[in-house]
Amino acid sequence: MANLETKTVGESWVTTTFETLEDWAQRHSFWPFPFGTACCAIEFMSTVSSHYDVARFGSEVVRFSPRQSDVLLVAGTINDKMGPVLKRIYDQMAEPKWVISMGACACSGGFYRAYHVMQGIDEIIPVDVYVPGCPPTPEGLIYGILQLKERVVRDRRRAAERAKAGATNGKESASADAGRAVPA
Amino acid sequence: MSTLSSQPITIPKRVTPYRMGLSERLYLPLLGGLWVTIRHFFRNLFNPKGMPIIDYPEKRRAYSHRYRGHHILTSRPDGSVRCVACFLCAQNCPAECIHIEAGEHPDVNIEKYPVVYEIDMLRCVFCGFCVDACPEEAIIMSNNYDMAYFHRDQSIVGKEDLMKPFTFDEERLGYRPSYPEEDVERAKMRRDAFNLVAMAKQKAGEPAAAR
Amino acid sequence: MPTLAEPSLLDAVAAKLPAGSVAVQEGADQPTWVVRREALSDVARALHDGRETRFDLLLDVAGVDYPERSDEEGGRFEVVYHLYSVTRNDRLRLKVPVAESDAVLPSLIPVWKGANWFEREVYDMFGIRFTGHPNLSRILCHEAFQGHPLRKDYDPARRWILTEDDIYKPHFDLPEGEDDLFERMTVNIGPSHPAMHGTFRLMAVLDGEEIIASDVEIGYLHRCFEKMAETHNWQQVIPYTDRLNYCSAFINNVAYCKTVEKLLGIEAPPRAVWARTILSEFSRVMDHCVCNGTTLVDAGALTNFWYMFQPREEIYGLIEACCGARLTVSYGRIGGLAQDLPPDFEARSRRLLEIIPAFIEDTEKLVDKNRIWLDRSVGVAAISGEEAINWSWTGPCLRASGVALDQRRAVPYDLYDTLDFEVPTLQGGDVYDRFRIRMLEIRESLKIIRQLLDRGMPEGPYIVADPHVALPAKDAAYNQMEAMIYHFKLIMDGIQVPAGEIYSAVEGANGELGFYAISDGSSKPYRLKVRPPCFPIFSTFPTLINGGSLSDAIVSLGGLNVIAGELER
Repeated sequence: MANLETKTVGESWVTTTFETLEDWAQRHSFWPFPFGTACCAIEFMSTVSSHYDVARFGSEVVRFSPRQSDVLLVAGTINDKMGPVLKRIYDQMAEPKWVISMGACACSGGFYRAYHVMQGIDEIIPVDVYVPGCPPTPEGLIYGILQLKERVVRDRRRAAERAKAGATNGKESASADAGRAVPA
Repeated sequence: MSTLSSQPITIPKRVTPYRMGLSERLYLPLLGGLWVTIRHFFRNLFNPKGMPIIDYPEKRRAYSHRYRGHHILTSRPDGSVRCVACFLCAQNCPAECIHIEAGEHPDVNIEKYPVVYEIDMLRCVFCGFCVDACPEEAIIMSNNYDMAYFHRDQSIVGKEDLMKPFTFDEERLGYRPSYPEEDVERAKMRRDAFNLVAMAKQKAGEPAAAR
Repeated sequence: MPTLAEPSLLDAVAAKLPAGSVAVQEGADQPTWVVRREALSDVARALHDGRETRFDLLLDVAGVDYPERSDEEGGRFEVVYHLYSVTRNDRLRLKVPVAESDAVLPSLIPVWKGANWFEREVYDMFGIRFTGHPNLSRILCHEAFQGHPLRKDYDPARRWILTEDDIYKPHFDLPEGEDDLFERMTVNIGPSHPAMHGTFRLMAVLDGEEIIASDVEIGYLHRCFEKMAETHNWQQVIPYTDRLNYCSAFINNVAYCKTVEKLLGIEAPPRAVWARTILSEFSRVMDHCVCNGTTLVDAGALTNFWYMFQPREEIYGLIEACCGARLTVSYGRIGGLAQDLPPDFEARSRRLLEIIPAFIEDTEKLVDKNRIWLDRSVGVAAISGEEAINWSWTGPCLRASGVALDQRRAVPYDLYDTLDFEVPTLQGGDVYDRFRIRMLEIRESLKIIRQLLDRGMPEGPYIVADPHVALPAKDAAYNQMEAMIYHFKLIMDGIQVPAGEIYSAVEGANGELGFYAISDGSSKPYRLKVRPPCFPIFSTFPTLINGGSLSDAIVSLGGLNVIAGELER
């Protein structure tokens, strides 16, 4: 989840330009943490391979370390055994961080309405973009990443507007406007 | 003709690992490997069009017209939905992601229509079983794979959104019961294979009727 | 060759046992003996050691729940062992009835080491205990799970929450000696780890760099395939089978469809068989490409990953033209294929045959004689053929240890007995040979495909014309009343498979992929057990890496081709 606290004191053209630059840099260099468990991980591997090459979008570096990455890309079924692991990885990531849920199983449990499968990772972590498909094609995943880029800009803009509207309420409404999926 | 099926299988009790030759010990084959990567490098440098990359989103891969993408609910000539709410697609779906509520259609020949027809795109596994099950060709799939949602409730796609395809181009249709390239002879053969009246007559010993 | 149903062989095995310990079950698809629990260990030992029997490979151990069966009739549970004799190419099924009140069986680990994880799975799923098992704990479900999910009275959607307090505690076979706290370190790798081979958890006790004891925890992708098979009808299970070995999804479709076709007593038409064989071989090529590519990535050779993924992308083009999906194809149907082949199928396949060898050769030039790779992989995680068989290995990993066992040769199915291809074997049994044998098998698969293409596509239907099994053609369904009725009944009621049981296996990319299906005459499977080829292979992993270093462990994991979807279903 993006860090939406904007400085309301001393806001000037210096800080807004800096924020624009920061946004631009962030959304053009997502470093994904591929939390790949199942078939979607194979399609993710295709996405980083020569045919689709997600490095064109700034994800040259695919880091399996939560401290060094900013997008948690959950690709594949997460079951109840994996739940604590996923939560721990998410907690270890530094702000700003986003979550892309790739594939039917990660989004909603897919067709596994079963005793060991989590019915969507938004039961335990907030998700920013849901990419449907089983598995989504690499193009579908890249479309999801492009949507995430737009979301980074949109969230920042909304947070800035809110902060301008009411300085005292900035914090609460910024997090309420997180747009995260609320687990059912 | 296979020859190994008659040979008995031996089960070794010990392993015999690979032994390196002299040139391998001297790291000489690494030069061959370097040549492979340098060849690829210069080939890509001087012929960038030859690279296999597909520059999505500017270019799209030419998926076939059998691609199982976003669903489309087809419509009748007057614009109403073709679906008669028979529930076969909902029954056949392994993910149980189709939710239909039926209502009575004023035309007595059509009888029913779906008041509510929703597909949960995040549950759907895009297997095409709904298209296989539909007896009216009311649901087909398209070539569209650009789907991403910000909220769970955005992913429940209703009847209106399913009925308006993102394009009216026939080229962008996907998995459906019949395809343009299907030649007449094979289509006829498929039909004949299921000519159950003729099959029953044949079993009963009557001469097959001329087609 | 005398069959095992013959009284003489049965007597030879059961000679010293009390009368009535072993009975032959008539009318089964393969020789089946019903064995009393008390005689199980002796029968197993006799079958393994006996010169006329020599059942050295334990294929599978499955549990089945018959809740209506009382204790007098045998008991609620039945544990089914599938045995195979490599040298005699013979199969045998043992069924052991177990009562619920006293659900204990002797462990068969002293006879077949591969029984280890199979027995843990039966315990996890049914609650049957095995005496003498060194580590009888849950293997697929998590530690906070209560109940035994494959019992018939377990609600399929009942979940339990796992917290960090309940995580599995490792079980180590530490060697004797002083416990010097400063020399030993226990390292936890996974389940989220940088290696490219799926989620598993490796706990290793290190003495410096050397691993002296290790344990593996799996179950991080347990998606309850077998329970889902019981809640969906026979045709609806096909998309679930795709997701078993997702690197070569079509082979799973074929294996499952053949199992149900055998139960129904029908055969797919020649066009479908031809297409199934070609696409299975392409799937095998794809699987070997991904296995070798990811093994090399784990060793640090990243370039080969790009090279090995190119054949996959090209084959995706062919498969997508056939059925509309790249990876999870659902192209097989019971009785044949889902749709007819596209008109340019042969042209596309021939083009693939021309371009794939170039990528394979590039990788081989980079790696095959490369001393860096040889130093990392020769002699690492070596296992002999005899020991591998005792651990229930099959497939390319077993062939790399010198045993030429291939189900396409042993029990030829589809068109394999009319094709000319080699079954390559190597003698090293280590990571290097497992890597090299996959490259050799890719070439053999391409040879098979070329022969089939040269024969030409058979004409005819692509699915059996039985309206009780296959959906009628759409234009027939639109225009004819009978076809519409059959269509409706097939979708609403499903295929009614006659009661019976069968074990049917094909040669998957990883080894013998078998399905043990029991039907009770209804439209849903009563029990569907998958024999996953990489399950026993991965159970050997702790033994293989003991004595090696940690980097060797990562590389040897790659060579085993462990695919989590199949490992944990």
